[in-house]
Amino acid sequence: MSQFLISIGYGQWILNALILLPLIGVLPIVLLPVARAKQLALWVTCLELVLSLGLWWAFDPATSAMQFVVTAPWLSQWGISYTLGLDGLSLFMVLLTTLIMPLAVLSSFKYIEQREKLYYGLMLTLLTGMLGVFLALDMFLFYVMWELMLIPMYFIIGIWGGRNRLYAAIKFFAYTMAGSLLMLVAIIVMMFQGYKATGTPSFAYDAFLASAPQMGGLAPWLFLAFALAFAIKVPIFPFHTWLPDAHVEAPTAGSVILASILLKMGTYGFLRFAVPFFPDVALSPMVTSIVVSLAVIGIVYGALVAMVQPDIKKLVAYSSVSHLGFVMLGIWAATLQSVQGALMIMIGHGLSTGALFLLIGMLYERRHTREIADYGGLARVIPVFSLILVVTALASIGLPGLNGFVGEFLVLVGSFGRYPWATGIAATGVIFAAAYMLWALQRIIFNRLDKPENEHLADLTPRELLVVLPLVAGMIWLGLYPRPVLDRMDAAAKNYIHLVQPGLERGAASAPASATEARP
Amino acid sequence: MTMVFDSSTPAGQTVALLPEVVLSLGTMAVLLVISWRHDGAASSRRAGWLSLAAIALSAAALLWLSMNTPEDPGLGQMIALDGFRFAGSALILLVTAGSILASLGYLEREQLVAPEYYVLMLLATIGMLFMVNAQDLVVLFLGLETMSVAVYVLAGYDRRSPFSAEAALKYFLIGAFASGFLLYGIALVYGAAGSSNLVLAGAQFAQGSLTMMARLGLGLLLIGFGFKVAAVPFQMWAPDVYDGAPTPVSGFMATAVKTAAFIALARVLYTAFQGAVVEWQPVIFGLAIATMVLGNLVALVQKSLKRMLAYSSVAHAGYLLCAIWPGSSVGVSAMTFYLLGYGVTTIAAFALLGALGRSGERELTLADVGGLAQSRPWMSFAFAVCLLSLLGFPGTVGFIGKWYIISAIAASGHPLLAVILVVTSLISVGYYMPVIMAMYMRPASAPLVYHDRGLAGTARFAVAVSVVLILLLGVWPIQMLQLADGAAASLAQTASQAVGGE
Repeated sequence: MSQFLISIGYGQWILNALILLPLIGVLPIVLLPVARAKQLALWVTCLELVLSLGLWWAFDPATSAMQFVVTAPWLSQWGISYTLGLDGLSLFMVLLTTLIMPLAVLSSFKYIEQREKLYYGLMLTLLTGMLGVFLALDMFLFYVMWELMLIPMYFIIGIWGGRNRLYAAIKFFAYTMAGSLLMLVAIIVMMFQGYKATGTPSFAYDAFLASAPQMGGLAPWLFLAFALAFAIKVPIFPFHTWLPDAHVEAPTAGSVILASILLKMGTYGFLRFAVPFFPDVALSPMVTSIVVSLAVIGIVYGALVAMVQPDIKKLVAYSSVSHLGFVMLGIWAATLQSVQGALMIMIGHGLSTGALFLLIGMLYERRHTREIADYGGLARVIPVFSLILVVTALASIGLPGLNGFVGEFLVLVGSFGRYPWATGIAATGVIFAAAYMLWALQRIIFNRLDKPENEHLADLTPRELLVVLPLVAGMIWLGLYPRPVLDRMDAAAKNYIHLVQPGLERGAASAPASATEARP
Repeated sequence: MTMVFDSSTPAGQTVALLPEVVLSLGTMAVLLVISWRHDGAASSRRAGWLSLAAIALSAAALLWLSMNTPEDPGLGQMIALDGFRFAGSALILLVTAGSILASLGYLEREQLVAPEYYVLMLLATIGMLFMVNAQDLVVLFLGLETMSVAVYVLAGYDRRSPFSAEAALKYFLIGAFASGFLLYGIALVYGAAGSSNLVLAGAQFAQGSLTMMARLGLGLLLIGFGFKVAAVPFQMWAPDVYDGAPTPVSGFMATAVKTAAFIALARVLYTAFQGAVVEWQPVIFGLAIATMVLGNLVALVQKSLKRMLAYSSVAHAGYLLCAIWPGSSVGVSAMTFYLLGYGVTTIAAFALLGALGRSGERELTLADVGGLAQSRPWMSFAFAVCLLSLLGFPGTVGFIGKWYIISAIAASGHPLLAVILVVTSLISVGYYMPVIMAMYMRPASAPLVYHDRGLAGTARFAVAVSVVLILLLGVWPIQMLQLADGAAASLAQTASQAVGGE
């Protein structure tokens, strides 16, 4: 396979193709009649998936260096270039994105009934923006892509969303913009600090990495600007309030993309930028204690709030807050297991939560309600649906043999040595997760079939099966045989730990000192 | 072959004013034609097209002049011959052409046909060109007054509308007031420097700190300019005037007048007071913050879209002041580029507003554009692009402009102003996005009173060109950035004559 890929020069054009193809697809979608536009959107996203699958084989797991790098001058006088590249951190984010998008498009075929051309055009723009965020190796390009995906999502929530969609859309937009504008200032300031030191302006990621240790007194502020942008996106408690609104109001595909991909951008930002740039600040005792506490609060709070939600979508939304808390804990623990675990949760959460939202959407299309109380006993009416829902829910809980378990287990094992208390509390989150999810399952598909409206629901159609089965297969594969995935992220995780090592050492050196000082 | 002229001879000085001369002759010609063919829509339209031709000829003269300028025009000229002037003139001609295109259909629709409209616009433009080329405070003042008088009349052009009359009167009174400040400032600067020439005054002020008189003169000049660019606390006239004037005139004032005033302000500060950066920096800092904060906050609570755009233009004056603040060449370059982006965007935004509304557009609110995307998809798209550009969203020219201003501030090593800039831009999400939201996400309001009219052909052309420019320069701004850089560098060179000429 890799021989074949080399023979077609795969490495040289793949990233450009992934970024540009959706944009090229937008124009015909605007011009074609609706039915053809839908199909074209599906074909483009499928083509993206097929093209990106080659990355799995072409990717060299032995190196932590950026691979498939392509670069072109953009505003070279100002140190801005169009540079894309991929490593073990971004590989799976890209694959996740290209996997989710065709499913999201396919799942919209029935759900989206008005202004379809605009919808599919926005979906493709969104795809470019998301891939751009994960692939950009130029900070300016990264920022442009980071903001670019905001507009399509804003429209998707605002036009095709639920009853409260306008409020959710503006909240989503304002929150993200609030974080990212300060990040823009931080990026520009960092660029000029580096410019002063080296004499050449550069927005390149490597240049930022090299000049970041020389930020001196600015470092805490710069870290704060980056961290705020990413924290809102993750979202870390207490910045999470946009999430339930956006998730609940967005159409199914919007919720799926939000949960599976957009949330990962925050944690990806921490892994790629915020922590490696400023390990001294990020892993200083004060920041660590804040982030780890917020992560743990997020885990427990998200789970507890999820438990009392009457709305299924809101339940899943809050469960995301909880899951992403594990990721943050793993990133800050910075051991090989914890970082790999964090990455595994990012992938696994993308699969299982994406599938949950898809399933809820299918249920909603049949019954037009998301209230848990309106259901009950569905297992007898729609057994296939119920089976898939059970598998997905178990994967989300972290049942061994399914994807959720691998990630959460690795994070807990990897973090215990560093933050025993926090990890102990976080572990209760797993129990709460089982509680809210199983309880919800019980009320939806088991119990008694006491609502007459539920007696004649149709089971999944072949199209719907086609949408969810790839995700279910992914969950089982990741749960049973995560080795190939872990191998491919190994070098990148080690590289991350290597980058943040100075901060870890300093943090470890100053923590006991301050602890003893505090004691009289 | 390029022909280099000697700007120290009288003939050479006339050549140095070629774009202005050509435009003046063109204006005379239009005036002559309309004294024969005055009545009816056709003659008004003819005057409009002739004015566009005059603008085009002037632009051609400008292009020729910029390619045949002597390397060293010599000291003490009243007229600047540098890239900064050419850039400023080009911007003004561009937005004037856009305003004329937007006016052509609008005046007929609103039954305001009278061909003098275009003559007044050309006269104002001549004044602006002189403001931009002035290397002498007296020339600057003459240009400013020529411009102002013409714009006073334009603001009150809709004689049937009391709001238009109010706008004209308000603009006239406040404008006269501002001119007074400016003139007094000029007198004091002249007294302190012994010359009204900016370069010579700069040489004088470069030695040691400013005297009390010079400082007072600088302060009065800043107040005068503050009125003209509508910086807080001198902005109170702007919303009423922009609101009351016919919409293409509002667009013209928000772009061309602002461009001329900012270019002139930058030239005065960077040439005459380049040695006194520490004296004016705190003032600009304060003005910029006040303008950004107040402009954005007040825009937030406006109901009328036209008034919202008026306050947004106040906010943009604040961003432009941020570009002046660092006192660096990058800052001037950022300001020049921002003026281009802002000008292109604002002309299109006001043209669209004019097309949407009727009888002065004062009543046009958010509710009236509800569901517009369904009935007028292209107009909504254009308006959305304009608003995103004003917001500074990536992919549009507004983002590149803001990025460059932030860069100029960051390069100075004090990023505080940049933080305030982005925080206040964040406020503007609150008034730009609801318009997009209304157009795309809300259902249409019951009677579609505002949906029945599209853009007139010429305005459609202007808007289409603007939208293409907004998107193109948002992705590929490099040539324009380089031009802006060149303009800023040539201003620095002109200014350095002051220090070098001792």
